[in-house]
Amino acid sequence: MYLNPIVKKDIKVQSRSMRICWGIFAYELILALVFFMAMSIIQGNSRYSSGNIYSAMVWLYPVLGVTQLIILGLVVPVKTASSISGEKERQTFDIMMTTSMSAFSVIMGKVMTAIVQGMFFVVASMPVMALSFIIGGMSWAYLFWFLGIALLVSLFSASIGILCSSLCKRSISAVIMSYVFYLAFFLGTAIPPVVMGVVAANMSYTLGSTPQVLEMYGDNILLFLTLNPAVYLTEFFAWVMAGESLVNNMSLISTQGVQVRGPVRLLTTGYWWLICSTILFVGVSFLFLWLASRRIDPIRGHGRSAGRQGRKGR
Amino acid sequence: MLQISNLYKSYGKFQAVNNLTLHIPKGDLFGFVGPNGAGKTTTIRMVCGLMLPNSGHIAINGIDALARQREIRRQIGYVPDFFGVYDNLKVREYMDFYGSMYRMNSREICRISDDLLDLVNLSDKKETFVDTLSRGMKQRLCVARALIHNPALLVLDEPSSGLDPRARVEMKELLQNLRSMGKTIVISSHILSELSEMCNSIGIMNRGSLVAAGRIEDVMEGVFGSNQLVITLDEGRETALRIVSEYAGVKLDSAGEHEIRLTHNMTRPQIARMVGEMIGGGVVVTGFHKQEGDLETLFMRVTGNGQ
Repeated sequence: MYLNPIVKKDIKVQSRSMRICWGIFAYELILALVFFMAMSIIQGNSRYSSGNIYSAMVWLYPVLGVTQLIILGLVVPVKTASSISGEKERQTFDIMMTTSMSAFSVIMGKVMTAIVQGMFFVVASMPVMALSFIIGGMSWAYLFWFLGIALLVSLFSASIGILCSSLCKRSISAVIMSYVFYLAFFLGTAIPPVVMGVVAANMSYTLGSTPQVLEMYGDNILLFLTLNPAVYLTEFFAWVMAGESLVNNMSLISTQGVQVRGPVRLLTTGYWWLICSTILFVGVSFLFLWLASRRIDPIRGHGRSAGRQGRKGR
Repeated sequence: MLQISNLYKSYGKFQAVNNLTLHIPKGDLFGFVGPNGAGKTTTIRMVCGLMLPNSGHIAINGIDALARQREIRRQIGYVPDFFGVYDNLKVREYMDFYGSMYRMNSREICRISDDLLDLVNLSDKKETFVDTLSRGMKQRLCVARALIHNPALLVLDEPSSGLDPRARVEMKELLQNLRSMGKTIVISSHILSELSEMCNSIGIMNRGSLVAAGRIEDVMEGVFGSNQLVITLDEGRETALRIVSEYAGVKLDSAGEHEIRLTHNMTRPQIARMVGEMIGGGVVVTGFHKQEGDLETLFMRVTGNGQ
């Protein structure tokens, strides 16, 4: 079986470093702290209710899950943001680009290394995570769902990091740029629906809540949120914990309870929102990976634009 | 082996490479010389596919290097002027990593890297971490790494920079060994004396243009002229000068007590006859030879004393 040589080498090199041990230690420590905090809250609440403390343990699943996904979202971009720029700083990049590996294989190698390392952390936390299944009585299928979501978060975060790494010469600039990019992605997909929501509310106030107005300005604004990571995770945990779609509720609120036609209506039924959102996140991730590979390819990236400039100049 | 035609590359308004045309035959050890900023590294980077020219054509073994980049990468082994190594990676793993980047199987990599590490005298360092090697060893390892896929062309950019004298000698011997094995090698260097000992052909670049190229003897001949003769003698200086003046097409450059330097357009038999006449006339000729130039003088002359 062919294993990307970059993954093989990077995993080997990083496994020999103490950094990976300290990384897993810090990860487990954070999870343990979150676990104890959650437990103390659960115990505190159980004093005033007749409920069984064990059934409340299911809440460990979203709490630990979200904590892990936030850590992955913060750590994975750092790993990939320093990968290409790190090769440039170490002056090994040129050698790499003269080998038979394509620019896309190099990018995939770096991304896969970051994902594999992220998965090391997730798998190492499984015993803690499993408490909500063993004691809380949750379905084991959700554990695998969570692994899938962790994989998607890692892929998306890694693709942002690697794109920034291909754009920057210095690792530190690439890391900062990755976080700014991430934040811009969150805000960029959240602000338009909020702004348009305000407009829709004003239109409804002045024109009345007719289905046409609501369809035009109402729930279709939610389509932007299919690419919002926070909404995606909230939707996932809402399905798992409450068995209902958060987006459907948001849609009903924004249209003041009126069911309208349009793509959002389809997406808010069943798991369609999650499915479409997953496909979009995977698509955007591969778009970022492709852009990064174009950027680092000396012939396709800089070379082509330099060539055009030169031809224009003469 | 390497054919470059009408190559241009500019950075903004700065013309780094200007209409470069060059042919390097198979088996040559070609020295690329020139002052800083002459365009040597830019040319090398374009040959290795690390940079796209504005226009021009590069072919290696008849394959268009710009159109068929993936194929060309298997034909080239590149050793950059500065290169880094990975921490926590052993010499054997370093070779294994680059071998697998050429999609070689592990058995093949193991066999070839053993041979190459033997060649570069690092076979006893297989289990040593790369970052603990000396600079000279790292440089030799980098050459071994560049040869792992058996490229037809080996390109080295300033391989001796930062090396101590012993490491330089080892590097020189290694390159000569590789040449004797039939590899075509292009090497850029500032150390001209070293190049003149190693290379059989050179190219001198200045301000982006190739000002001289070819076999070292041919370039020397072109610049210094092939018809410079030095005659050393013990006695009979006046007779010798008289005989020289009798030959048409001979110009006396200098006449010392025991040495006469002249420029001529005579054939070899004519030179032999003139020297024979001197000996017959009682001049004690102790020797005569063609005036040889050195690479430093040649370099200074063709690059306009660096101006």
